Amino acid sequence: MRFRRLAVLLVLLWSLLPLLWQLYTSLRTGSALISPQPGLSGWTLDNYRQILSGDPPFWRFLLNSTVVGLASTALTLLLAIPCAYGLQRQPARTRALLSGALLAAAVFPYVLLFLALLELARRFGLANHLLALSLPYAGLTLPLAVLLLGAAFRDLPPELEESALLEGLNTWQRLRWVLLPLIAPASASTGLLVFLFSWNEYPIALTWISRQELLTLPIAIARIAGSSVYTVPYGAFAAATVLGSLPLLALMVIFQKPIVAGLTQGAVK
Amino acid sequence: MTLLLTLPALLLLALVFAVPLLRYGWLSFHADSVITGLQPVPNGGANWLRLIEDERFWQDTVQTLRFAGLSVALELLVGLALALLLHHSWRGRTALRTITLLPWALPTAVMALGWRWIFNDPYGPINALVQALGLPALPFLSSPASTWLVVVLADVWKTTPFVALLLLAGLQSIPTDLYEAFALEGGTPAQALRRITLPLLLPYAFLAVLFRLAQALGVFDLVQILTGGGPAGSTETLALYSYLSAMRFLDFGYSATVMLGMFVLLLGLTAVLLLGRRWLAGGRA
Repeated sequence: MRFRRLAVLLVLLWSLLPLLWQLYTSLRTGSALISPQPGLSGWTLDNYRQILSGDPPFWRFLLNSTVVGLASTALTLLLAIPCAYGLQRQPARTRALLSGALLAAAVFPYVLLFLALLELARRFGLANHLLALSLPYAGLTLPLAVLLLGAAFRDLPPELEESALLEGLNTWQRLRWVLLPLIAPASASTGLLVFLFSWNEYPIALTWISRQELLTLPIAIARIAGSSVYTVPYGAFAAATVLGSLPLLALMVIFQKPIVAGLTQGAVK
Repeated sequence: MTLLLTLPALLLLALVFAVPLLRYGWLSFHADSVITGLQPVPNGGANWLRLIEDERFWQDTVQTLRFAGLSVALELLVGLALALLLHHSWRGRTALRTITLLPWALPTAVMALGWRWIFNDPYGPINALVQALGLPALPFLSSPASTWLVVVLADVWKTTPFVALLLLAGLQSIPTDLYEAFALEGGTPAQALRRITLPLLLPYAFLAVLFRLAQALGVFDLVQILTGGGPAGSTETLALYSYLSAMRFLDFGYSATVMLGMFVLLLGLTAVLLLGRRWLAGGRA
């Protein structure tokens, strides 16, 4: 019992200390980070003021990431739900083959694809368009999304659709009014994972977007670090980290259950 | 008819996954760099010959494997401990699960910089501790011996929660009466862990290792931001090398070849993993 308490404490420290250190850094003046300050001096909100009054102001990057995240999530679900449904209606051989290919794609380290995707973006004029990012993001998250939603469709009792068929509902009506409400929890889990992926994605956003006001959050933060050759402005950067993490923190606290369900469903099925 | 429903998704998947790989296959037999005016010119197998003789490629291969091997091994070990801890039911479990998952949810790019500051020489908190002990500040990020370990630490910090969750799902799938029966026959908890938990956890561990190994071989964000591949190229990985080949040296033909080299490595390791799993499963039957 005492051992478990110690283990929990260790886990908490391990997970939270690096984050708390960012919070602490973001509230300290530059000189207070380098040499100890007496008493209560050395605390400041200047780091936050600095990044919020930057050009463009920091909230712009938060907005960009939110827009890309929402668009990617919508596009992924729009494509994945019909695909997962259609997949369940295929003969077992086709289904196994496609599922295997989807699993391979889900595991694939997508950073390998960046160069060809960049070429595509240039050819079709998609570079420096924020919403265009949702095309590769949807493509990259589709394998996992289809697998998760496919498992959800498979769990539904087959009589459900048979009776809907007897009622004379066509495919679209069955999908929209009978099946969709029932796979809502799986769709929510999937959507959250897609959103997290899009919010955090780095190599593609790095190569597709170069205009400062269109940067997504991870790229903007990496740029803050690269802005000075000799020293990273850690105070401003830490403030950016804190602001950039808050939406995710909120998301994790509110949606812990569906996110965990999404992550583990993939393994259980 | 229902096959039609899958078409839009499959088309996008082909565009995002298959087209790039085919394009790399084509590019790897072309010179496409500043020298050719950024136009692809067929060059036989020159890129591949260069790859075989490229010391930087082989050094990066070793460094990538070293990073992936140690990270995934640690993630599996720590993840198992974490999963066992999270599996026990007690009041704070949900809160603890949320907190442990936080490192996984944050962008890699963000914490990569965070670690740079934490291991800063001499002002970071780790070095503040070191100096408080009366020792000189340690050059964590400017010595090839320690820098790659910092990268491993950052990766373990971020992705262990993911591994733990997969293993936790496995733990929850084991029926509790198995343990009860085992205890009735006089088995100790330690024996139960070895004889019941670990074997039944194997498929989940396998999935976690497969996924993590593939992702670790492609490590990019973390290295690019935390170390930039330095010091002296000691943390450069294959993904970073191919990125630099394309974006800094503007040598697209060779960049594509490096990526395919990495792809071959990935296929080889996956095959080894699959064979290993079959062997393990056979050993038990």
